[in-house]
Amino acid sequence: MVDERVYEMFRDIGRDMYVHNLVSSHGGNISVRFGDRIIIKRRGAMLGRLKPHDLIETGLEKNDSGVALASTELIVHRAIYKATPALAVVHAHPRVAIALSLSRDEIVPIDNEGSYLLKKVPVVSVEFASGTKQMAETLADALKSYKIVFLRGHGSFATGQTLDEAFQWTDALEEAAEIILHAKHLNEEMIEYRRMSDSYKSW
Amino acid sequence: MKGWIGRILVIDLTHSTITTEPLDPGMAQQFIGGRGLGARLLWDLVGPEVDPLSPQNVLIIATGPMTATGFQTSNRFSVSTKSPLSGTVLDANSGGYWGMRFKRAGYDALIIKGRAPKPVYIEITEAGVSLHDATHLWGKRVEETSQALGQDKNKRNVLCIGPAGENLVRFAAIMNDATRAAARGGPGAVMGSKNLKAIVVEGDLRVEMEDKERFRFVQYEATKMLKANPVTSQAFPEFGTAVVMNIINAIGALPAYNFQQTHFDQADAISGEAITETILVKNAACWACPIACTRISKTDMGESEGPEYETAWAFGASCGVDDLVAITNANFLCNDLGMDTISAGSTIACAMELTERGLLTSDLRFGRADLFAQTLEDIALRRGLGDELAEGSYRLAEKHGAPELSMTVKKLEMPAYDPRGMQGQGLLYATSNRGGCHMRGNMLGLEVLGLPKLIDRLQVQGKASFVTLHQNTAAILDSLVACKFVNIAVAEEYLARALTSLTGVSYPTGELIRAGERIWNLERLYNLREGFSRADDTLPPRLLNEPATGASAGWVSHLEPMLAEYYRGRGWDENGVPRPAKLEELTLAELAVEVLHG
Repeated sequence: MVDERVYEMFRDIGRDMYVHNLVSSHGGNISVRFGDRIIIKRRGAMLGRLKPHDLIETGLEKNDSGVALASTELIVHRAIYKATPALAVVHAHPRVAIALSLSRDEIVPIDNEGSYLLKKVPVVSVEFASGTKQMAETLADALKSYKIVFLRGHGSFATGQTLDEAFQWTDALEEAAEIILHAKHLNEEMIEYRRMSDSYKSW
Repeated sequence: MKGWIGRILVIDLTHSTITTEPLDPGMAQQFIGGRGLGARLLWDLVGPEVDPLSPQNVLIIATGPMTATGFQTSNRFSVSTKSPLSGTVLDANSGGYWGMRFKRAGYDALIIKGRAPKPVYIEITEAGVSLHDATHLWGKRVEETSQALGQDKNKRNVLCIGPAGENLVRFAAIMNDATRAAARGGPGAVMGSKNLKAIVVEGDLRVEMEDKERFRFVQYEATKMLKANPVTSQAFPEFGTAVVMNIINAIGALPAYNFQQTHFDQADAISGEAITETILVKNAACWACPIACTRISKTDMGESEGPEYETAWAFGASCGVDDLVAITNANFLCNDLGMDTISAGSTIACAMELTERGLLTSDLRFGRADLFAQTLEDIALRRGLGDELAEGSYRLAEKHGAPELSMTVKKLEMPAYDPRGMQGQGLLYATSNRGGCHMRGNMLGLEVLGLPKLIDRLQVQGKASFVTLHQNTAAILDSLVACKFVNIAVAEEYLARALTSLTGVSYPTGELIRAGERIWNLERLYNLREGFSRADDTLPPRLLNEPATGASAGWVSHLEPMLAEYYRGRGWDENGVPRPAKLEELTLAELAVEVLHG
């Protein structure tokens, strides 16, 4: 039985993700780890309109009836929890960042907030970019070193101690991506204001 | 392999031998340094047959790869031994300048074995190591000893025990730089049992770095975090750690009158704000620390260091005292006698309750701050009732027929956060491998301060995962060795990158935390080997049965469901024994054979 406080957290973060244009109506998924259990969004449920029955509990390692109801990306969430210290995972489809991921191997924010919080977000590629073992392993491995990683053409996977934290990295990435896009549209020479800014690429 | 010096100094006091051994690179990579390295060495050196105060126990003083690098708070060292108070694996760590200087003398760690036939002190410089007669220093207090041996924070640093350590007070501290303490669990008594009065270090060797430019970049980014965080840049420098006194009281999690209440009406009088307004002379910092939380205070007794939050609470709310000067004087005295302020204050609070309940004949009653000085001296010198108090609150309360009145976990006195108002904190205490301790993981950050994000302090479901993660992280901080306070603002990913660029060994953030999990599990195995079990992972019955007061009114600690979730999440069985698969994953299976299979 999921605690009401846990449901409220899922409901609020899910709603914010939809409102912030980080997912379309039925896209994205979020989860938390409680010991050897995972609580994850129900497959097909709308993040912006989560009800208590949309939270599915299942094992971190062991399958049970929950897997029949859980998000398609359960395999990815499980791999991330097993490989990293994450206690929450947020997967979103931020549109500008997706566009950037199509032409670069890393997204390096140029704005102050993005640099401060994220430094650099690596972009990884897999052939089958939805719910596959290869995708799970690739993302889990990258998330050992980075709190947010981008799957080219698909979306972001962010980790945190709480959904709140993982959501923050996701939202900050999209903001940074939009600023990169605006700066590119302006097409003016950038005046660097950050000391050691070249080092962000090696983060 | 940069970062580590690569040498361990071994001194056998029984035979007066001084040798140097190479640091095993594999062991260093897996257990990092400080507490982790100490636990790993202790595993081999001190088995369950060893009495903590016998010559067979060892004292391990270890720095970590980050020590002396200049990274924020890289001044600390760790002391590992078997605790004479709890009987568990023990590490206690301290800041100041001594740890930095010891590493700069050319060693990662020091292992002290045996017992000297008469009092001695050790002198360690880049030129060599020597043993000296300390008969003339025996009986002297910490300040006097430090001065006699030439304490100069910028050149020559003294670590020593006071009378409490000499007299084997079970919560005696090892003091360094006169006023810094590695105190919890009584490492000073182990040092005293070895007839070792002091260790003096000099040195200026620089730590080699694999990628200095990258290291400095990480450090630069960490500086931004520390400057931007209001706790590390404003609250701690201005008010010290006692800035949380009013905050904790407001949520009904401030234990008072030996945990009979969870709020204290006079909390404001002993708060960080009150310290700053009334007795503070200035704040000060350990080496390479930009936070500067140290209080330099002045009372009728003089000018010295303190009090921190835990001390202000232990002699304050816990004893029903709101006299800040009396509390600060008790702090000064504990430092000079060489005693843990938390255990000292909490043991006195226990004696006060025993007395008020008619179970102990003494003058100690709640509010009697006037008895602090005499009582502390009696403890350190083991005079009269002080001899009983020197055994810690559990043995005291047990002797007088009421062990349940000792506010301890595994015989170590709990600090200033009541588990009834912070549910995760209760699980943290109950599962702490050195006993009732708040430094095994930062639940204050999560449950109260919102660092990194606020979680519901009264929620039970899911708390175990937070406790586990923060225990693993704390093990890493204690092994690097870095101050817990740097992690308030600087996340683990910065530490992992700093360590990687320093050593040349790749530590993805996840792998670094995994090393913390390895250390935690090794310490668990150590305690299991000592005979500890699930039955010891508990809290005093008061916290499980008697409802809280103040803003947490009505709450008790819901430990059992959290403990079950904790064991499952850690990959342990229902008795709290790590499962074989977990031990394989952490490369501890080979070590664990004797525990799991007798």
